[in-house]
Amino acid sequence: MLYYETGFLLAPNLSEEDTDKIIGQMVEVVSQKAGRLIRQERWGKRRLAYSIDRFNEAFFVFLHYEGGADIPVELERRFKQSDTVLRYLTLKKDTQAVLRRKKKKEPGAEEKAAPSADASAQGSPEVK
Amino acid sequence: MAREERQDRPSYRKYFPPKRKFCRFCQRNVREIDYKNVDILRKYMPERGKISPRRVTGTCAYHQRKLATAVKRARLMALLPYTED
Repeated sequence: MLYYETGFLLAPNLSEEDTDKIIGQMVEVVSQKAGRLIRQERWGKRRLAYSIDRFNEAFFVFLHYEGGADIPVELERRFKQSDTVLRYLTLKKDTQAVLRRKKKKEPGAEEKAAPSADASAQGSPEVK
Repeated sequence: MAREERQDRPSYRKYFPPKRKFCRFCQRNVREIDYKNVDILRKYMPERGKISPRRVTGTCAYHQRKLATAVKRARLMALLPYTED
């Protein structure tokens, strides 16, 4: 299982229903290929730093998901087919780093809890 | 002549040592720099839209590399400009 993050830009001239439909299709691809959608970010229409296909704004969507390597391949194939997707970018996130961060947090929480418990047990700190 | 005079005087730098630069990402213990965080990336891009060098910002080599890729990704997604005139 790999952690991916795919962002894509949709043309701004689409109606709300159409954008919802396209995003729904992409989410479906993830679930069809036995992936797990972790998060979906919709920034909405946003000004572009430079015009793409004569559009000055675009609808930004980001999908975070977990699954096999065939999911981003399928998504990108669909992006290429449709003219409404202006840009897309898929990143493979370092799952190791995510795991490490989680592990680090857990012992940190324990350590914090331990000294406070000691202090409360002793009552007042001893001074030598 | 002028040069000798200058040597007698203590240098400008002695009175006003340059402020030590440091890596803002190391300070906050950042591992990855996200290309979607445009506000942070913009701080490392002067008006022209170029990536400012390490010697100006004081970013460490590791984070400068991460920063450069993040800026380039943001440019691809039209979050940041390639050039700004």
